[in-house]
Amino acid sequence: MSTLLAVESVSWAVEQQKILNNLSFDVCRGDIIGIIGPNGAGKTSLLKCLLNQYKNWQGSIKLKHKNIRQYKPHELAQTFALVVQKSPPIFDLKVYDVVRMGLLPYKTLFARDTDIDKKEIMLALDKVGLAANENKFFNTLSGGEQQRVLIAKALVQKAKILVLDEPTNHLDIFYQHQILQLIKALNITVIMTIHDLNLAAQYCNRLLLLNKGNLVSNSSVNDVLTPELLTKVFGLPCYRDDAQHSDIPRVYFSPAPDESITHMSNLSTNNIGQLS
Amino acid sequence: MNFFRVIKGKNAWIFSGMIILTLFSIVMSITFGPATITSNDIFQCVVNECASPMHDMVIWQIRIPRVLVGLVAGMGLACAGAILQNVTRNPLADPYLFGIISGAGLGATIATLILSEEQMLALPLAAFLGALFSVIIVFGIATLLRNMNHLLLTGVAVSFMLGSISHFILYLGDPFATNRVIFWLMGSLTRVEMFHFYLISIMVLLTLVTIFAFHRQIDALLLGDESAASLGVNVDKLRIILLALCAAVTATIVAYCGGIGFVGLMIPHIVRQLVGVTTMPLIVGSALIGGCFLVWVDVLARSALSSVEIPIGIITSAIGSIFFLAIMYRTRKTG
Repeated sequence: MSTLLAVESVSWAVEQQKILNNLSFDVCRGDIIGIIGPNGAGKTSLLKCLLNQYKNWQGSIKLKHKNIRQYKPHELAQTFALVVQKSPPIFDLKVYDVVRMGLLPYKTLFARDTDIDKKEIMLALDKVGLAANENKFFNTLSGGEQQRVLIAKALVQKAKILVLDEPTNHLDIFYQHQILQLIKALNITVIMTIHDLNLAAQYCNRLLLLNKGNLVSNSSVNDVLTPELLTKVFGLPCYRDDAQHSDIPRVYFSPAPDESITHMSNLSTNNIGQLS
Repeated sequence: MNFFRVIKGKNAWIFSGMIILTLFSIVMSITFGPATITSNDIFQCVVNECASPMHDMVIWQIRIPRVLVGLVAGMGLACAGAILQNVTRNPLADPYLFGIISGAGLGATIATLILSEEQMLALPLAAFLGALFSVIIVFGIATLLRNMNHLLLTGVAVSFMLGSISHFILYLGDPFATNRVIFWLMGSLTRVEMFHFYLISIMVLLTLVTIFAFHRQIDALLLGDESAASLGVNVDKLRIILLALCAAVTATIVAYCGGIGFVGLMIPHIVRQLVGVTTMPLIVGSALIGGCFLVWVDVLARSALSSVEIPIGIITSAIGSIFFLAIMYRTRKTG
């Protein structure tokens, strides 16, 4: 597979505190890459550097052999589509309006929507199974449906790389699998941050394990999800279960209380004792 | 595909209604006022010659400039409010929250102290400069804070600061000057001329053209800065251009019409219920409804009391404050 994105020695710091430290990896066409790691590992920061949303990152990110800093913002938007929803929109946007935003990188100032644009929007909604909901308010949809609307927007954006920040957050098990199945079925390159390691194992073909801004491992699911690595990075005893009927490993953590947890629990017990 | 035709059709009907309402408001509002003018008199004046010199003077020199300035001032304030609410994603944003009114007030206050009675023609200019000064301070502080989301809060703080300086100057100054500034701040269309109409029209037109150019970018902001940036929008630059535009159009209106509050807050809320939240229909609808609203508020201002005119800002603020509370009540119920 040909390399689409080449990340070389990327670092990013805020007021001398290193958030990302010398990261290098390639993204090939058709990859589904999961970025995993504990909170504060630099997962979202890495996504933002890839999208060139931070200005002061160092190193080199090449998209089709050209530095992403040399691309104009609308050209980058034609390649990367970000699927993220941190807070609900304040105003009552309709599903159609949200998907329509995907046209933006292709439109000049003053340009109106054409009939072809409208067909594309409907086609994208159809692909994510929401063709009947175009007139509904985005805010009234379930979390899973909202994610699908945002994916439809990315499809209208005709992006080559789909970038997702925690796409399964706040979703129940059914919607988690529905969203990831949909993403896999789209057959485009995907880079996503994801907390659930077993979901990552099931749907990604490569994982980047980050810890404190460093790239600990960049390899296949089997090679990254090892008890040794995960125990070291997450600070909890990790076990792996290689099911016989499947080649997808499953990992689970044992919440064995370490010294700090025992200490905290003692503290809270003492406090309660003092209060009573 | 039927859906698009339905929506297009529905919005087309609503906009046709708004245009008819606007034309009707312009014509009918000319008939209201102390001197009796009928729609026949207006028709005769426009098509032929006026029935009497008195009609000629009242219609062409007084009523038409006043109605037209009311129309474009309403359009400008409503558009500025709509842009500001979409750009800051704050449904309670209003152009006056930039501290524009208190800046204009400070400009007017200083002008009344420095200038003689004959030089009072320069009062609007002083108010404009004051408004601009306040906007620059608000922008400067928000830039220093590196957070454009704090712009409105900065506006409120600057507003209080400039207000207190004005009050201090007025407290020490001439009581007549105090009266003049206070009446001017209440807002009025009594002294407007066709020149003001042209000037405000240019600003409103400039605003509309800019919005038509950037409507997709503004829509993208509705989903959040991060999402807009990923669509290729330079969020900070766009926000500064639009906020500066809102400030300029509002400052021009304030300079000639005084403080007319709450139009920018109220009208976009009403229009959103009618035509949706995306920028193009919202701005066109806000311009039309905002224009009509101010034209009729001005009718109320000049005909509610037989002996005296009510300052227009008092009426808009009274209606606006009730509307403000109603929005909060509604948000409480739905949220």
